[in-house]
Amino acid sequence: MKRPGDFQVVNHSVPRSDGVAKVTGTATYTSDMTLVHMAWAKVLRSPYAHARIVSIDSSAARKRPGVIAVLTEDDVGDLYPYYGHAVKDHPLVAIGKVRFVGEPIAAVIAEDELTAQDALDDINVEYEEFTPILDVDSALAPGAQKIHDRGYRAGNFRGFDDQSIDIKGNICQEVHIAWGDVEKAFVSAAHIAEGEFYFPMIYAYAMEPYVAIADYDANGKLTVYSSAQHPFMVRQDLADVFRMPLNNVRVVVPFVGGGYGSKSYTKIEPLVAACSWKSGRPVKLQLSVEEAFLTTRGDDARVRIRTAVDAQGKLVARQATIHFDTGAYAENSPMVARKATNRIVGPYRIPNVKIDSFAVYTNTVPASSYRGLGAAQVTFPGESQMDELAEKLRMDPVQFRLKNLANRGESINPVARPIDADVPGDLREVAATLHMEKPLPPHHGRSVCCSASDAGAHPVTLAMVQVYGDGSVSVLSGSTEIGQGSHTVLAQIAAEEMGVPFEKVRLVGSDTAITLFERSTGASRTTTLMGRAVLEACREAIAQIKTMAAEVFGVAQEDLIEERGGVRHGEKRLTWPEILEEYFQMQGASIVGRAYLRRAGDLQAVPVFWEIGVVGVEIDVDEETGKIRLDSLATIGDVGLAIHPAMTESQDLGAATMGMGVGLFEELIYDGQQLMNGTMLEYRVPRFSDMASNIYLKLAQNQDGVGPYGAKGGGEGSVNPVGACIANALYQTSGVRIRRLPITPERVWKALQEKKESAASNSSTAHVLSKP
Amino acid sequence: MTTLSRFEIHQPASVREASQMLSEFGEEAGFYAGGTELLLAMRHKALNYRHLVDLKVIPGLDTIAANGDRIDIGAACTHRAVERSGHVLEKLPVLAELESHVANVRVRATGTIGGNLCFAEPHSDPATLLLALEARLTAEGATGSRELGMEDLIDGAYSNNLQPGEILTRVSVPVAKPNHRSAYVKFQIHERPSLGLALWLETPDNAQTFAAARVAIGCVGPFPARVREAEAMLTGSRSELEKRLDDPADAIADSADLLDDHEGSAAYKRHLIHVFLRRAFLRAVGDSTAR
Repeated sequence: MKRPGDFQVVNHSVPRSDGVAKVTGTATYTSDMTLVHMAWAKVLRSPYAHARIVSIDSSAARKRPGVIAVLTEDDVGDLYPYYGHAVKDHPLVAIGKVRFVGEPIAAVIAEDELTAQDALDDINVEYEEFTPILDVDSALAPGAQKIHDRGYRAGNFRGFDDQSIDIKGNICQEVHIAWGDVEKAFVSAAHIAEGEFYFPMIYAYAMEPYVAIADYDANGKLTVYSSAQHPFMVRQDLADVFRMPLNNVRVVVPFVGGGYGSKSYTKIEPLVAACSWKSGRPVKLQLSVEEAFLTTRGDDARVRIRTAVDAQGKLVARQATIHFDTGAYAENSPMVARKATNRIVGPYRIPNVKIDSFAVYTNTVPASSYRGLGAAQVTFPGESQMDELAEKLRMDPVQFRLKNLANRGESINPVARPIDADVPGDLREVAATLHMEKPLPPHHGRSVCCSASDAGAHPVTLAMVQVYGDGSVSVLSGSTEIGQGSHTVLAQIAAEEMGVPFEKVRLVGSDTAITLFERSTGASRTTTLMGRAVLEACREAIAQIKTMAAEVFGVAQEDLIEERGGVRHGEKRLTWPEILEEYFQMQGASIVGRAYLRRAGDLQAVPVFWEIGVVGVEIDVDEETGKIRLDSLATIGDVGLAIHPAMTESQDLGAATMGMGVGLFEELIYDGQQLMNGTMLEYRVPRFSDMASNIYLKLAQNQDGVGPYGAKGGGEGSVNPVGACIANALYQTSGVRIRRLPITPERVWKALQEKKESAASNSSTAHVLSKP
Repeated sequence: MTTLSRFEIHQPASVREASQMLSEFGEEAGFYAGGTELLLAMRHKALNYRHLVDLKVIPGLDTIAANGDRIDIGAACTHRAVERSGHVLEKLPVLAELESHVANVRVRATGTIGGNLCFAEPHSDPATLLLALEARLTAEGATGSRELGMEDLIDGAYSNNLQPGEILTRVSVPVAKPNHRSAYVKFQIHERPSLGLALWLETPDNAQTFAAARVAIGCVGPFPARVREAEAMLTGSRSELEKRLDDPADAIADSADLLDDHEGSAAYKRHLIHVFLRRAFLRAVGDSTAR
């Protein structure tokens, strides 16, 4: 295998292929697009969290000049009006019932956006209110009203071995894993840490809110342009809604302005497509950021967890019960629960484990993917307890972790691929970078935490490369360029393999009518799976050209010697393009190489790879106000090989910054049934001024992944440890343990107050109660 | 839900014409002096103006001039212009410092000081400091101009005392003298500050004793306000004052009618007032350990 230093294009930080277009504002996003005769839609949203729809009168809206049509539950009878890749529980517009404040209840289609907006005021809806169920405890209470009182079909990409769904009461999904004998292990443990943790409701803020344009044409074919992260998942849902064959649905995704999970799976596309179907016009729906807040959020999680060690500091057991508040519809929460259940174990050898997870329906904004899929929610409690146990053991937290981390080839989950990374090495590197051994300045605390995520999702990834006679190459990829740089990385791989300059490679995609199936763009899979598919497609194209070369040279294939970019026979050398021209005797002809990756061979074991997160922070606490700021941040991307080192590092920085966001600031707040802070003014995301004063971004390149050249994915791992890092560092400097994110100034201040008060009362009582 | 409705922008040549335009369009019109807050309110339908009268194009409203012991700032000056003005940097560094931390550079390059004061957003910075500095304001209408004090401008959240059609044209701020000490401190965790506190002190003896004091508190109530009960407690010797700063802090907290809300509990806000009064005091007297 080629090693760093051997590569011409790969493992170099080439200029991004989309950099100039994005910096100059000429890159095309869905919101930039207009179709001929395009109309606009606006959505009327429910003011109630839980209510029966008694009647909808849209006659006045329909009569308003400029209004083309109004879509309500009354119009969707000819469709299969539910979607969802996991559970088909989500109506494209409310049917019979509303389940959260902000749920679409009608859409007006008009000649322009303002007319559509004004016409919303003309729609009269009569509701019969039910008691809203706004938290997990109310949803699980005996006799609680069922938020979904009918059955649903399983989605086509449910992601569970058992494809049946089993909604019990308000429990959308249960996941259970267990090995060893947890009860026995806790009885004989030397130390136990036990507690309840809470990870808040969050919004995976992306600069671009949801937008889609749908064109249901006169021939009954549907084309949708969308900001979707997973175009092929959307295609399937649309094919089901309109009962169409897959080739009649074309989903095109231009550049996407960030997703972080919020754009995974189907969102507004069925509604916009139904608007086009109903009105006979191409229709665009552009949501505002405030509407995006009412479309999807991240699951909040209450985690009851206990972890046990023996006297030598070996982990012996972990048990947890996780309750996710999944909101009104399943979206991707069943998979969030599945992944969190696996990920709470951490990168450790733990002989006795029992995890029980529940994704619970409530009358709040539906929750779905958030960068790292459940890992941030469970790494916070898991890694907080690692520090609690280290203290009980009087061990250094880094040494305690090192004692328990799985080495390469060891298993952390009996049914999963063994660890394919150097986790102890990563931890040592980050600890050394932060100089954990050095004395701390006053009010400073340090912590290094880690996570292991079963990443890559289900490996079905198909790719094509087109090799032209003029030396140019196109890569046809169904992976979405969502800002992560995949168009650049995939082009690097093609340039490396085909021996052409990087600038001569063009990325085409995503377009479900042109590019082959790729399950999704998420779970850090694109470099690993699509990158490998592109590499294999290049090799397949080369194999074809070599056959042609043998004919051109008039020799046997075995007599040709492959050199990068072409072949040699004796003194004579021909490049791939030269061979193609010789072969076809005409300019312009091109050939296609393709690759079909599926769950087989070295991709049989799951996960595709383990995504490791190791992050260290040093914080500075203002104990008067409780405000925490990051003094230092250190990350390491254990990515096998960084195809593009600079972008790999910036993925880690971005991920850690998101982790800091929920660690310190971000939290969606409900007051009764209303979301109170669903605007960018009130929902506090990190700013440049919040960034750590010292940032260290490291890479571990051991070429130990199943991706191209031993690469593995990155970009999610560094989110996970940050919350626990901050909580642990705060405990180290201030002696207060906070088990709820975000760790806001007031929460720190209150904890410090309580500590002072209890110290004062303890010192007086201790005096009285002290025994001789 | 939140698409900006259609509106028309009108560009008057003078203050008088601007005032006339507003009377002509009546309740469907508002003044526009930067729009960083106004357009958000319009997007959210909190305001439904169909006509905006643009004050930034009126000649002369965007100048900053030294005027004896005062600096006269045109109401249409952007925050950025105030922050970078040589006059302000030299004679009113406390104001330049405040302006350099208003929102972000895009807002500062667009939003104006007059727009900020008249919009009376409860979490704004400049009004709190200008109260403590006893700035004087000039308002002009169709029938003439008048002067008013800072305390007479804002009377509630998003509410000012100007007459319909009256335009704030000038903010006149007394310059800092050698015997003055002042500071503005704020606590910010969200997009807008949660607390702003301005302190102005007069000292005859290089900050050993204080003969007069003014203190204003912002962001914790519906509008920023002077706290005269606290001011009376902020005179005397520095060493004595440092020991009993909790008393004026309590007076400030008592005056502010603190509430539990998403910015924090009333108890936490009271605590912050104590912390930030001390920080303002230390900063004003030039203590290098001030945070």
